[in-house]
Amino acid sequence: MKATSRTAELSNLQFSLLLALPVLVFLLLVVAYPLGYALWMSFHEIVFFGGYKATFVGFDNFVDVLTDKKFQKSLWITIRFTVESVMLAMVIGLLLALVLNRPMRFGGLVRTLVILPWCVSLYGTGVMFSYLAKGQTGIGTALAFAFGINDDVNFVNRDWVIEVLAIGNAWNMAPLVAFFLLANLKTIPRRLYDLAAIDRMSHVEVFRNVTLPPLRFTLFVFTCITTVLSMKLFDFIFVLSGGGPGTASATLTYRIYKESFKDLDLGYGAAMSFMLLALILGSTFLLYFLWGRREASTP
Amino acid sequence: MNQLSMTVAGATALALINGAVQAQSLEAESGESVYFRGWQYKTDIVQDNVDRYNDEQSGKVDYATVTGDYPALMEQNLIAGAELDVLYANPSQAGRYFDGGWIMPAEELDNIDAIKADMYPNILEAWTYKGKLLGLSYFVSTRGVMHVNLKKYNELGYTDADFPKDWDALYDQLYEMRDKGLEQPFLPHWLSEWYGISWAFDFEVMNRGGEIADGETHVPLLTTDADGPAYKTLEDWKRVWNDGLVPEEVLTYNESSYIDAYASGRYVFSPQQLYDLETFNREDRSQIAGHASLLPYQGQSWGLLDSAVYLMTSRERADAHTEDVKRFSNWYGYQNHESEVFVGNRWMQESMLFSGYKSVMESDAAAERMKSALAREEDIPVVLEVYANTPYPKGIWSVVWAEEFNSWLKETLQDFLQDDGDIVETIEAINEQITDLNAKYNL
Repeated sequence: MKATSRTAELSNLQFSLLLALPVLVFLLLVVAYPLGYALWMSFHEIVFFGGYKATFVGFDNFVDVLTDKKFQKSLWITIRFTVESVMLAMVIGLLLALVLNRPMRFGGLVRTLVILPWCVSLYGTGVMFSYLAKGQTGIGTALAFAFGINDDVNFVNRDWVIEVLAIGNAWNMAPLVAFFLLANLKTIPRRLYDLAAIDRMSHVEVFRNVTLPPLRFTLFVFTCITTVLSMKLFDFIFVLSGGGPGTASATLTYRIYKESFKDLDLGYGAAMSFMLLALILGSTFLLYFLWGRREASTP
Repeated sequence: MNQLSMTVAGATALALINGAVQAQSLEAESGESVYFRGWQYKTDIVQDNVDRYNDEQSGKVDYATVTGDYPALMEQNLIAGAELDVLYANPSQAGRYFDGGWIMPAEELDNIDAIKADMYPNILEAWTYKGKLLGLSYFVSTRGVMHVNLKKYNELGYTDADFPKDWDALYDQLYEMRDKGLEQPFLPHWLSEWYGISWAFDFEVMNRGGEIADGETHVPLLTTDADGPAYKTLEDWKRVWNDGLVPEEVLTYNESSYIDAYASGRYVFSPQQLYDLETFNREDRSQIAGHASLLPYQGQSWGLLDSAVYLMTSRERADAHTEDVKRFSNWYGYQNHESEVFVGNRWMQESMLFSGYKSVMESDAAAERMKSALAREEDIPVVLEVYANTPYPKGIWSVVWAEEFNSWLKETLQDFLQDDGDIVETIEAINEQITDLNAKYNL
């Protein structure tokens, strides 16, 4: 009998770690280093004028952020914008998926058209919605003129700017949601709908008992994804409203930009960015706690 | 040869030598690229100028525009030591960049004395920071000069004799116009650009005789008394905003939307850029062409001195490369190899952009250009008088925190209008912000 050499072989764990090593090194460089540097900055006051200087200030930046009224206002704006964006993106995405799942002529063309908004850059989306929503060039004014009203209808104002931003954001994200849900819908066996028809279920009952259950986990995952994407959104907001009018749409990302790059208060901006990180993590944990756990335990 | 002919011959020879020396000195020599960046304004003309320099002086100038939040983006580029050699800047940015150690003042140019001698003293003072001239002239203008749409003004029964002489009279006339049936006669300078509503406050306070901060110490100077310039400015703003005399949408306008809105002919008065008189009097651009005029100086100034300079960065470069940067700056920002202020003159002809140089502004070509750009010939002395009386906000612009204060003021004033803010509290907040910024920078 021939003796086998155990030391020459890698275990499964070792082999998988070896394969993952380049990715881990890459992540360390592109994630861990900037994150660590940002953490270091958040404990310092950084001055560029009269010579670069970084002074350790402990938790002062974090305390200042928490007591800053502008931060509190931006926090509320971010939550409002995120809730509206996510709700719109999920509802529109679900409706699109249901429509696309039906047999139709030129289905391929329609699916291509539906995915297009997701392909548009956030900068481009911002420019487009800016034109659509402002009174000078907007759709509201065009409609008003069509009905003989000679007045500008401007939606980029204090009362509506968040809704305009949420609609634009949902327009960009909903196609992605729709396509993942559509993939899910395609896995539902046709016979379940036949059985539902035999049971004489109404459309609402069919949706609730046949269509929705297999979609619930995907809905949960995309609720988390769209929440994170909305909370960290910056370029679209910057282009469309620039945080205004005034501070009406100054989300946390906009506030971080202003503190860090306009006022060059990098320590304070870094501390604020960790608050945003906490908000994102807190929101996703909350979603998991309230919803995800149930979905994960469902067979 | 008599003495006169000898003198002429000598002077001619000197001029030829001087010209030859200058021609030689403006030619690029290092073979390195010179990176030139600016904001978006008639980029085709800028590119054409750069191409001309590259062709005639063997240059390797790489020109591109920067879109978005220009001051912040340029600051990040400068901090990062990015490939950037020559850039546009307003004086308020230039001082901050200088304090950051990111720019090389124009004082480094060999012909700086000639350049200074050709500059108007008030412009030279505005662009001088801590005793050094920071940059060369791109343009000079009055922003916030009060444009009048004569067509609408005359339709309402007014003539030149009724022109308001100051801000108080202007606001009174706006209400008269509303009573005559024109609901929104005024397009205020409250646009969303970084130079929008904040500059509107700056110039209105100065036009009313106030100062926001001291020119030397930068100590805040606004008072909360009801007759003070800041109080009256905010009081009138609040009044016209709450009474709907101005379009709410102006808070979202960018520069082109703002110009388009006034060019539509819907408004009678609007504080605009002085050189945009040319735009508003162009038939292909404006519905009030031939009717765009301005309020004259009648003891009160209008607007503020708006200007831009070409700056040279101080990033690490080989000496030969830095010399090329200086040569290009000289050619572009002052005189070309033929001793002509080529770019300055071209801007005057293309867009009626005023220059900081006497040799441009006092030329016959400039006078002809102004004449063709204005609705009426009698507006020429009006333009020059308004321009000559324009104030410069040294206390809040010639200081390191200028841009921080400006962006804070923009948010604060827009919120003041939308939240129906308290006037006294707002003025106190402005003073407090200046005090905090002075403390932050140990001023």
